[in-house]
Formats: sequence, structure tokens, C-alpha cells
Amino acid sequence: MAARLFKGAEYLITEATKDDVFVPERFTEEQRQIADTAEQFAVSEARPAEALLERHEPGVAAALMRKAGDAGLLMIDAPEEYGGLALDKATSMLAAEKLSSAGSFSVSYAAHTGIGTLPLVYYGTPAQKEKYLPKLVSGEWAAAYCLTEPDAGSDAMGGKATATLSPDGKHYLIEGTKQFITNGSFASLFTVFAKVDRKHFTAFLVERDFPGVTVGPEEKKLGIRGSSTTSVIFENARVPVENVLGEIGKGHKIAFNVLNVGRFKLGAAVTGAAKHALGAGAAYANARRQFGVSIGKFGAIREKVADLTAEIFAAESLIYRLAGLIDDRIATLPKGGDGYYDAYQQGIEEYAIECAIAKVFCSEVLADVVDEVVQIHGGYGFIQEYPAEKYYRDERINRIFEGTNEINRLLVTGTILRRALKGDLPLQREAMKAMEALMTPSLDELDPSIPFAAEKATLANLKSAFLALSGAAVQRFMEKLKDEQEVLLALSDVAIQIFAIESAVLRAEKISGDLHDAARADVAAAVKAHTFAGVEKVATAARRAAFYVAEGDTLAVLLAGVRRFTKYDASGLLEAKRRLADATLERERYPF
Amino acid sequence: MANVLVLAEQSRGRLRKPSLAPLTAGRELARRTGGALTALVMGHGAGSAAEELAAHGVTVQLADAPVLEHPLAEAHAAALAEVATASAATWIVAPATAYGKDVVPRAAVALGAAMATDVLALAGEGSEVLLRRPMWAGNVLAEVELATPVKAFTVRPTEFAAAAQAPGGSVVPVAVHVDPARVRARFVALHEVKSERPELGDARVVVAGGRGTKGDFGPITALADDLGAAVGASRAAVDAGWVPNDWQVGQTGKVVAPDLYVAAGISGAIQHVAGMKGSRVIVAINKDADAPVFQIADYGLVADLFQAVPELRSKIAGG
Amino acid sequence: MKILVTVKRVEDPESKIKVRPDGLGIVTDGVNYKLNPFDEIAVEEGLRLREQHGGEVIVAAIGGDPAITELRAALAMGADRAVLVRLAGGAPPDPLVASALLKAVVEEEKPDLVLLGKQAVDDDQNQTGQMLAGRLGWPQATFASKQESLESEAEQKRLPGVARAADGASVRVAREVDGGLEVLELPLPAVVTVDLRLNKPRFASLPGIMKAKKKPVREVAAASLDVPLAPGVVVRRLLEPPKRKGGVKVQDVAELWKKLHEEAKVL
Repeated sequence: MAARLFKGAEYLITEATKDDVFVPERFTEEQRQIADTAEQFAVSEARPAEALLERHEPGVAAALMRKAGDAGLLMIDAPEEYGGLALDKATSMLAAEKLSSAGSFSVSYAAHTGIGTLPLVYYGTPAQKEKYLPKLVSGEWAAAYCLTEPDAGSDAMGGKATATLSPDGKHYLIEGTKQFITNGSFASLFTVFAKVDRKHFTAFLVERDFPGVTVGPEEKKLGIRGSSTTSVIFENARVPVENVLGEIGKGHKIAFNVLNVGRFKLGAAVTGAAKHALGAGAAYANARRQFGVSIGKFGAIREKVADLTAEIFAAESLIYRLAGLIDDRIATLPKGGDGYYDAYQQGIEEYAIECAIAKVFCSEVLADVVDEVVQIHGGYGFIQEYPAEKYYRDERINRIFEGTNEINRLLVTGTILRRALKGDLPLQREAMKAMEALMTPSLDELDPSIPFAAEKATLANLKSAFLALSGAAVQRFMEKLKDEQEVLLALSDVAIQIFAIESAVLRAEKISGDLHDAARADVAAAVKAHTFAGVEKVATAARRAAFYVAEGDTLAVLLAGVRRFTKYDASGLLEAKRRLADATLERERYPF
Repeated sequence: MANVLVLAEQSRGRLRKPSLAPLTAGRELARRTGGALTALVMGHGAGSAAEELAAHGVTVQLADAPVLEHPLAEAHAAALAEVATASAATWIVAPATAYGKDVVPRAAVALGAAMATDVLALAGEGSEVLLRRPMWAGNVLAEVELATPVKAFTVRPTEFAAAAQAPGGSVVPVAVHVDPARVRARFVALHEVKSERPELGDARVVVAGGRGTKGDFGPITALADDLGAAVGASRAAVDAGWVPNDWQVGQTGKVVAPDLYVAAGISGAIQHVAGMKGSRVIVAINKDADAPVFQIADYGLVADLFQAVPELRSKIAGG
Repeated sequence: MKILVTVKRVEDPESKIKVRPDGLGIVTDGVNYKLNPFDEIAVEEGLRLREQHGGEVIVAAIGGDPAITELRAALAMGADRAVLVRLAGGAPPDPLVASALLKAVVEEEKPDLVLLGKQAVDDDQNQTGQMLAGRLGWPQATFASKQESLESEAEQKRLPGVARAADGASVRVAREVDGGLEVLELPLPAVVTVDLRLNKPRFASLPGIMKAKKKPVREVAAASLDVPLAPGVVVRRLLEPPKRKGGVKVQDVAELWKKLHEEAKVL
């Protein structure tokens, strides 16, 4: 349990301490065992089936889902009354992370346990849960989520699928086409969104065998080729009225709430994938010899390995910090009772901003990692015999689905501003304080007795930069700010990096005491390398935001402030990176 | 004065070859400790095995009794302990075969003897004998001292030269008093497994072929059969359809770590090397002197595999 | 059937094992630990026998708190309860001492069958099961295995890994010996050590992991067992094995054969 409960986005305003963060080093024995099981399943059951999955061999994915069910891997987020284990989000993320080595099956798993099952868990009636949940938890049935349509992606609510009540009032007839449905070819239960009377966005539980349901052929994809992606066509599909999920017209609540969970799980899964890709890159760097020496000895390669290791450290710190935030908040809810899942989701919704951050930051870390791992492999990175090209292709979708990274970025700042407007976040007050700080020279000396003093001082300044810029943006655009996407995107970049840097720093501080000297130095090196890179990104985005929102004197003040507030003394950076590269290359895997 | 007793292994009256290694080790040991050396053969109708061993210049104690017919640990360990005590043996040395590993620890505990398994060499100075043995799957070598009055160890047969034939040996029958009623295990059957090829994953020896075979894996499989080895292949050979997929050794095929890996006609691309670099000894045979595989091979032979492999096979056959 | 399975906590074989500069131990920083793989196979065999014949699977370990992690892993696989022989000190006891401590546990628990992995992948000594059997005066069968590539199902049935007789009074064990598979019949109680190919261990299911939290772990202090704890095998020093040189060429097959036979000693 953290020392105190932070609100969503409160990290931008309040200084967090190491006692406020959950770190992976503190997993319980059970969590570690579950992680082992997930990993063993991925390696011994899922990975060997990859070739068959890529050929879409019938029955293989379904069989894997059942085996995952047997292992209990589908029970994590499901309630105990229906065969689940109702475990915490840290465990859920950990399983997602470890299953990432399952290749394509990890996507099927994520879709099934996340968007496929959670709508039912959160919104199902006891009768609906009774009927369907045990089958989903055992893996006997696979689940799929049908929201996207050919003409409705980011604009999910713009979907055209309709649901018309039959004359006898016993069925809804669903008409429409859903696209890019994961698990389409073998799912037995679809959560389908359609508009009742062409306007009330509603969710329905649709069984594969209901009349009028047709599954299209497998899409030929750039990546994650072993996962099933199909269209699902509903032609007067007959769905009993008992299968309306939640309330008519409230389907958007379901869609948005479940997406939060999908986002943080994706953050965990891509972090796991990044670790594996890094390991492959390190192994190749050690094995490949040029100019008489293994290329892992060359600075050009070591720098990449170091940078990637540092980024993954930050991604990992970020997702488990988020897990801690969510778990601590949910722990305060009284168990059971009618309103439990409502309150549960609100608990998660509180951190919608951090969930979006997790999705964006971690997926972009993976993108960096797979790109550089291909590069490390040189020409062989282009050849299918080596693992690099598959990592590269499989990565791409993560920046697109579960809400594109653009949508998620807009959500970050958009939600912050909305909450500020509602009075949930004292943004205006803090922005004014930040503006003052901007204009007041400070001569604070760093206190070297504080661990990571330089990083913490910089973080405080970065937050001020964000607040000052946000304040300036609000002042300039007022309520039209929500339409100035370029500004929102720039501000989001700042907010995202701050959360990542802070998560890494606080984790490092928390765990350093337990580490022996060499490991402690490795962690410090990761923090230095990542903080440097992150601060540079903040500076760029902040300058961009300043130019977008201000002119003349205001601009000059903002730019000067950005310059001051993005100072970070990264002395010893080269040594730190070399040390970090060694840590990874020696082990041929992510070292933390 | 520290007498040494060497346990030999016989099967159906024939001495098993690995027994000659502990004899060498035992001799070295006896030389250093100044003790007397004898060997022990146990069985029923094992006289000819004892004679065979005696032909290597050692006094062989022969314990021949119906209760010892099958190599049941309860019987053989009891007999071994009895003979060791009667011989005032401080040291017991045996081959690290299934038999040695099964029997000697049980005898050792009866004698209160600490024991070291799979010894590779004798170390230490003079009569202070240390035993060098692998730990952590051979990633570490340990030199250990056995701190009990009586000591036992098994030796890895390939690490000690087989003792040569020599005059001066003899066979001495000894009586052992093993109560059959106390030997409760019962031998049911021995199924000699036809030399089917071992699984790639845990074979002791792997012979692999690549593009250089030009599709003819005959020499590869023949050499593998001679060595009781598994057969592997590079991706090139698999892609060309010359051999099944599951023969592929490599990062995306199987990762193997045998005692001996023979790469014939394989150039040694990183993917392949990643799959076999854990092998204890790597031999490469390739026509191209610049093939990358030679960088990792412990022994590289620049030759046409179609000449070199048959030649190697005849050497193995005893030519 | 009451089955006792011993488990040992060992360095993860995937970790890079390095010798400490002082040569007296290995570098433990950054090394992961896990359940000895052969012991996992033993636990799995115990669980299979329990599934077939009913009874109880008890797992036992020697060590301190870290050993409890491995006991819980075995409990998560499905074992019923655990016993820890609490022994202070860093290094695990050698087989002479371990077998004496385990004998005390066996005398307390009175199992029908004791299963052990044939060796632990840290010391690779392969003695504890045999020494335990000797101390107890029980019949032993080492390297229990199953030959996968048998001709027919009938063959597989005839040569099961570890099979209990219908009357429950004995087990038949197929064991790997040089040159084949030997089948022994052991009246119970007996000691069996297991080899790699005997079975493929299940991984702990999540419900199994959660249930394991509540399963009892009984502790007994090694000091209270009247067993001399002085080690019989004393490690005087550790060395790294010689590194692969690579790049050595031989002139001809004759030289290759000589080297393989005399230098590498691999043929």
C-alpha cells in the first residue's frame, strides 16, 4: 500500500516520493509464481504453435485458449463467483508482460481476457455472467470485441451498425459489419456495439451461433500474423433481448471504460516484448564479429543497447507504478455488493490519463527497441531467419489499436483540462504558481545527500514547465483549446515524459537500498540515461508548445522558462551508458 | 598407508571398457598415497571379466555369488562395503557409469565415506589428494577434499586413459556375506534399446550437415550412426528440402549443447552458431578455409566432407 | 500412497555462473534461483501417482527461508504439504549430511515411496537418493525414466516409468542404464531417483498457486535432529573451465581423430 492515494494526473502537481510507488521488485511470491506459469505457458505451449498459428491452422488457437484456461491464466480479472480469481492489476499486468513471449497468442490472450471478457464482468447481469463467464474463464469459449467498423475507428461512436427490436419484442436484429476483430475466426462470444433506433449506442452479447452472424476471412497482415483478425458481418442477426449488456444507450460507457484496462495491459505486454527484443539484439551483438571483434564492443552499438535498456527500465517502472495506483484505489472499495463494479471502474477511470500515458509511452519504447534491434542485426535484421524482422513487424500495430497514439495523447491533456474545468484538479492555481516560478530566478543548490537530487530537482522544474505552458495555452485559447490538437499533443508529450522519468527515478530510489553496489550503479546509470533522453524530449515538446501558444513577450518568457526548467546535469553520461550496455550485453538480456 | 580399491564393472562375464579408467586413476592415487591397489569385480559367473581385468596388471578380488548376479545396488553396495573394509581400503574408485553411480554412494554411506562424482583429474600435492570435478553443469570446476576417513569417488571414463595391458595381475576370489533376504529389489528385465538415434535435444554427440552436402546426407547420417549421435542440419539444408524441419539446429530451430558437435559442410552463420555454441567441443569440416564456422570450432579441418567423413569413420572403426 | 519428494533450491541453469575472484564460491549477485529441474520431475511423478492411487504428496527441503520458496512452488504444482529442515549457513549440505537429515524426515513421516531428482544441478553429485536408501536399508532404483520412442503402446505400457503394482505393495521402475532400460521391482517402502525423460512436469496453475499459500509448511530444526553436520565434501577452490579457443585447424583426419581422442577426450 502506498503512503497516500494520488488522484489521476496529480503527479503533475504534487511531489511523489518512493513510498508512493509500487515497484516490480516488491512482487509477492505468488505473483512471481504466476509470472513463472505465464512464462512457462508462453514458451512451452504458445511459442511452439506459432508456425501453425501463422498458417491459421484451424483449432490451434482455440486449443491454446483452453490450455491457458486450464492453467488458470484466464481467471486473473474474473470474479470468484464465476470461476475467476479476482487478482490485482499488478498481477494482471505481470501475466500480460510474461505472456508477450507467446508471440501471436499473446494478442489473442489480451483480446480475450481484456476487451473480450471485461464488458461482461463489469456490466453483465448475474444471469448473463452465469451463462457465459465460466466458459470464458475456462477457455472453452473464446471472446471477441466488435466495436470498430470499416468507417468507424477512432470515431467509434460514428459506427453504423444498427439494432432493431423485433415486433414481438423478444429479439434485437443487428445489422452491420465489424472490422479488424481479433479472435474473429474462433471466438464464440462477441461483445457487439450497435445503435438502437439509429442513435442509442448499446452493447450486446452475441453468440457465434446466433442466426445471421457470419465471420469473414482472415486478413493478411503486416504483423502479428498468427492472431486471428477478421470482419464479422451481422445480417438480421437475432440476439435475445436478455443479451443487451448494460443499459440501452450507455454502450459508450462500456467501450471507454474497458479501453482503460486494455491500455495499461498493452503497456505491460509491449514492455515484455521489448525486453525479449533487446535480448535478441544483445545476443547478436555479442555473436557478430567484424574487424576482428564482436560488434558489442563498439560504441555505436553499445550506445543503442544502453539507450534501449534505459527506456525499458522507465516503461517497466511506469506500468507497475500505475498498477499500484489502481490497486491501492480499488483496495479501498468495499468488496461485493451491487455497485462494486461501477465503483471499480470509476477507480480505474480515475487513472484514465495514466493509462493513456502507459499505452503511448510503452508502445513507443517498443517501437524504438525493435527498430534499433533490426539495425543492430545489420543486413540480417532484414532476413526472416533472424528474429529481428518479426519483432519489427509485430510491433507496428501497438501504436494503432487500443486507440491510436494520437487519440491517446489527445486524451491525456484533454482529460487533464476537463478535470481542471470541473474543479477536480487545481490546474489554474498551480499554473499561476508555475508562471511565477518561471519569472523568479532560483539559486537553490542541490542537496547531494538526497538520492537522485539532480533528477528530482529537474522533475519539479519539468512539472512547472508543463503547468506554465498549460496555463498559457488555456489563457490563449480558452474553451477552444480542445480543438487545437497540435497544442494538446505537444503538452501531452511533456506530461508523458514527466510521468515516465518520475516513475524511473522513484523506483530507483526505492530499490537502491536493497541492491549490492554493482546493481545499484546499473540502476543509477539507467536513470541517468533515461532522464537525459526524457528531458531532451520534454524540452523539444515544450518549446514547440511555447511557439504554438504564445508570441512576443509571453513567448520570450516561456522560452526562457523552458530553457531554465529543462536543465539537467547528466555529467558522467557516457560512462553510465557504457556501464548500462555492459550490464545488458553480459547477460544477453534486459538486466533488471 | 591408504589402500585403494577400484570397482570394475562387468556385464555377462565381459569386463566393461569404462572400468579401465578408474584403474588408471586408482594407480595414480596409490602411487601418491603409498597404499596397495586392488580391484573388485562382482557378479555371478564373472570370472572371465576378472581375468580380463587382471590382464592389466592388477590384483582383482572376485566376489562371485548368485546374489550378485544382477547389479542390484542393495547387493553390490553391501558387498563393496564389505570388501572395502576387509581390504582396509581408504579409497574407493569406480567408473561414473550408471552402475558406478547407482552402487557406490550406497556403499559409501555404509562406510561413512564422503564421495565425489564424475571426477576429471586428481589434484593437490603428494598424499594430499584433491579431486577435480565439474559443478553447475560443467560451468565451474571444483577441487574438493573428502574429509572422512574412508573416501569414494567415480571417474568420468573419458578423462582418464584406459589402463594398458600389463603382466603381474591375478584373480583372488573373495567371499562376501550378503544376505539375499535383505536384497529386496528384484530384477525384472533389461531392454537393450536398439541404437535408435537419440533426440537432438539431449544427444551427447551431434553430427550436422549443411549446404556443403549438396543434398547428400549419407555421410552425415552414417557418421552419426557410428557415434550413436543425433543428426542435425543448417537452415540451408532444411530450406532446400533435403532434411526434415526438426533436424534444424539454430536459434530458430533447436538449441543444442552436446559434448561433441560436428559441423560438416556448414558455413557457420550466426543463427546456426547460436544454436550450437554451447557444445563442449566443436569440430568443423568445410572446404572453404574462410568459413566463419572455423572461428568457433575447437578443431577445424579444411577438407571436402565427402573425403574427410569416410576417413574419420574408418578411424573410429579402428583403422 | 504416501509419497515424500525432496526438493532443492538451485541456481537457475540459465543464469551465467561465474567463479568469485577468491575462488571459494560463485558470484551470487544477479543469479536467479529455482527448483532443481530433476526435482520438478520427481514432484510431477509423485502427483501422477497420487492421481492414480490416491494418497498424499509431501515435499521436503533443507535450508532456510529461501528454500520455502521452492517448497511453495512444489505446493503450487499440487503437493499437499511441506516439511522444511531448517539449516543455517550458506552452502547446501553435501549428500552425506543431506541424506542423514532426510532420513530423520522419512522416519517421522513414514512414506511408502521417496522420490528425488537424480542430481541437483548445482553440485551434480547424484548421491543423495542412494545414500538415503542405504541409511534406511530400503531398496533403490535410480534414473527412473520412460523411453518415449518405443515401438508401440504395448511396449510403453510394459515399460512405464514408475508404476505401482495392483496390490499396492511394490513399484516397478524402468531405469536408464548404459545400453538400455532396466526394469526393477521394488517392494515398498522404496527410494527412487528420477531422470530427465521420466515425465514433463506440469506448471503450477493459478488456482494451484493461490491454494498453496494455505498449505502447511512444517519446520524442524536440523540442530534438533542429532545428525552430525560437518561436511564430508570440502570445496578447496573453484576454477573456470578452459575457454574455447576457436580457430584451431588440424592438418588431416588423422590429426583430428588424435585430438578428439586424446586431447578433447570426447571420442
